[in-house]
Amino acid sequence: MTGSRPERGLRVRRRQDHVLAEFAAMGCPCEILVDTDDESAARELANVVAREAWRVEDKFSRYLPNSVVARINGSRGLPVLVDDETAGLLDFAACLYELSERRFDISCGALRRAWVFDGASRVPDQSLIDAILQTVGWQRLEWRRPSITLRPGMEIDLGGIGKEYAVDRAVALLAAQSSIACLVNFGGDLAVVGARRDTAGWQVGIEAPGSDGRRAHRLVHLGAGAMATSGDSRRYVEVDGRRLGHILDALTGWPVDSAPRSVTVAADTCTQAGSLATLAMLHGPNAENFLLDAGVKFWVVR
Amino acid sequence: MPRQDKTAIAASLASATCSLLGTPAATPVQAQEEPGWDLNTALLYYGENDDRVQDVSLNLQAIRNFVDDRLLTLGLAVDTLTGATPSGAIPFDGPQTFTRPSARSTYTTPPNTIPLDDSFLDTRVAVNASWQQPLGRLYSIGAGLSASNEYDYMHMGANLKLSRDFNKRNTTVSAGLAIAMDDLSPVGGAPIPLSQMLGEDDRSNKTGDQSKDVFDVVVGLTQVINRNLLVQANYSYSNSSGYLNDPYKILSVVDGTSGDPVPAAPVPGEDFPSHLYLYENRPDERTKHSAYGQAKYYLSGKVLDVSYRYMTDDWEIDSHTIDARLRWPMGDRSYLEPHLRYYTQTAADFYRISLVDGEPLPSYASADYRLGEFDAVTVGMKYGWKLASGHEMSVRLEYYMQDGDAPPGQVIGNQALQELYPDLDAIIAQFSYRFGW
Repeated sequence: MTGSRPERGLRVRRRQDHVLAEFAAMGCPCEILVDTDDESAARELANVVAREAWRVEDKFSRYLPNSVVARINGSRGLPVLVDDETAGLLDFAACLYELSERRFDISCGALRRAWVFDGASRVPDQSLIDAILQTVGWQRLEWRRPSITLRPGMEIDLGGIGKEYAVDRAVALLAAQSSIACLVNFGGDLAVVGARRDTAGWQVGIEAPGSDGRRAHRLVHLGAGAMATSGDSRRYVEVDGRRLGHILDALTGWPVDSAPRSVTVAADTCTQAGSLATLAMLHGPNAENFLLDAGVKFWVVR
Repeated sequence: MPRQDKTAIAASLASATCSLLGTPAATPVQAQEEPGWDLNTALLYYGENDDRVQDVSLNLQAIRNFVDDRLLTLGLAVDTLTGATPSGAIPFDGPQTFTRPSARSTYTTPPNTIPLDDSFLDTRVAVNASWQQPLGRLYSIGAGLSASNEYDYMHMGANLKLSRDFNKRNTTVSAGLAIAMDDLSPVGGAPIPLSQMLGEDDRSNKTGDQSKDVFDVVVGLTQVINRNLLVQANYSYSNSSGYLNDPYKILSVVDGTSGDPVPAAPVPGEDFPSHLYLYENRPDERTKHSAYGQAKYYLSGKVLDVSYRYMTDDWEIDSHTIDARLRWPMGDRSYLEPHLRYYTQTAADFYRISLVDGEPLPSYASADYRLGEFDAVTVGMKYGWKLASGHEMSVRLEYYMQDGDAPPGQVIGNQALQELYPDLDAIIAQFSYRFGW
């Protein structure tokens, strides 16, 4: 979720068998594909989706001074009462923290500032990492719905779950409003809704590593449900010739060793898909086994 | 991370997501990876008893699935055929000498033995390509091309098929047509029908290349009866015209009383046929009608596949084929599949054991055992298994028994002492390997 808020416009154009609407939100390109020839109907649905994406961004971006997250992060050790939606996200973050055995932690944003993932070999001092680990961690904050209390200097960041959540929200709004089939894609995390007119679903490409989105590694036919990807082949650091991806292990303060370059998971909801992909990443060399045992459809790029 | 129950993780996540979003997912995920190429390879051995035909063939088939059920299929088959095949001449208690089709040499068969022409050696290469795709929501269209080449035969074919779904895709009606244009360049030339087999180097009764055209139409119906039963029925019409003879098949001319082959006019040397043999002649048109029914029954992992075909043609051949297979799973990764097939046909109206010396020549005559009356039974077993890589392998072993009789009214004199119909046993062995790519 980015600092400078880009122009909030919607670009709509007709494609061969659907209408495509594009906009920017949460620091990534977003799109909605609407299975109709009616451009104005598509624009109406795209507006619903874009407004929801922007609402989620406004509410949960830690960079926007009026957001709930900015308010929590600026609370200087005082309890903050949050609304139901925020509470839901915090509960979910707590669940992921437990399921990941403390490796996924929304309160370790400070670590992310210590690491610069630009492909170079810059590694922060271990003393810095240790110092940060002394001050952050979900176990050091107090969350009793609906009240959250951070220690001074602590910050939370819902970036790891907000985008997938926004996709699921958008899809739910679409389903309540129309039966037209749509695909909602926020920066590669996506979900579909409705049955398509002439085909069974949507074709989704999983990007080949290092191709900058130009080449599909695999094509997947998505008829229902969602897909999310964790990992980014362009964001890594080199350490002793080893390539460390940008997924940080909150227990060690280091990027996960031997993590796949990317993990894509298909699941009923985008939130589940994204969480499973992130948890798999944290399993490093055992990502595939984790996903096999979880019984989901996945694609791992190493 | 210590091992946890990961299925439990997925379940916890699902319930946590449900609390977060307020509702469970409307529809369970349906994500299907587009397979790249699906490759089927098979090595097949077919071997007849008594050193008759042996065939080894290698088949490669590549199927590419595209989105929206579009399908490209490419096939390549290479096979090598060797061995001997009955020439049509009858056995008797003396040796017989024949001129080879090439007319370059002769060969002699011993007494009381079905004469086999052993000059078969052939390599055939066949290719095909087809494309199938939906046409709108309910129609599907497919088109294909095929070609094959061997030393004395070239085939070119094209086909088109259209189908339409009804009744929520539980019913499919289809219609297809196919044309084939085949060219024959028989070794040594195509003999003039019913002309006499001549001596070495004498090609005066041989003509040039020949051709034949085949036109097929098929209409079919596939019906899903319920979750366990699928039935299919079709009718097909096939018309062949042009050169329908087997240029290498002959008939013995026999004495009307003894039934023995009539010796050729005495010619000095060994480079002439010992007896009188005429090249066969078939009508230059053949029209077949056939009706086919199939049922596939699925029950707790097992699949029973039974089919029946009735065919009748204007050569007066009627045939019945019953085929049954049962796929029996053995664990998750392997299966056994017994196979049983029964086939029976009546003889063509111009099928003859021999021609009688002095009687007027019929317009058409053939002693090709494949046009006679016979029954055939195939029994087989297939074992298939899946590797950890997802690749599939199978081995199939089958035994084929063909048993025919000479038409009783045609057996003359000493012929009753001979085996006039060449029975046939064959072994079929196949190894297949299938993988995605």
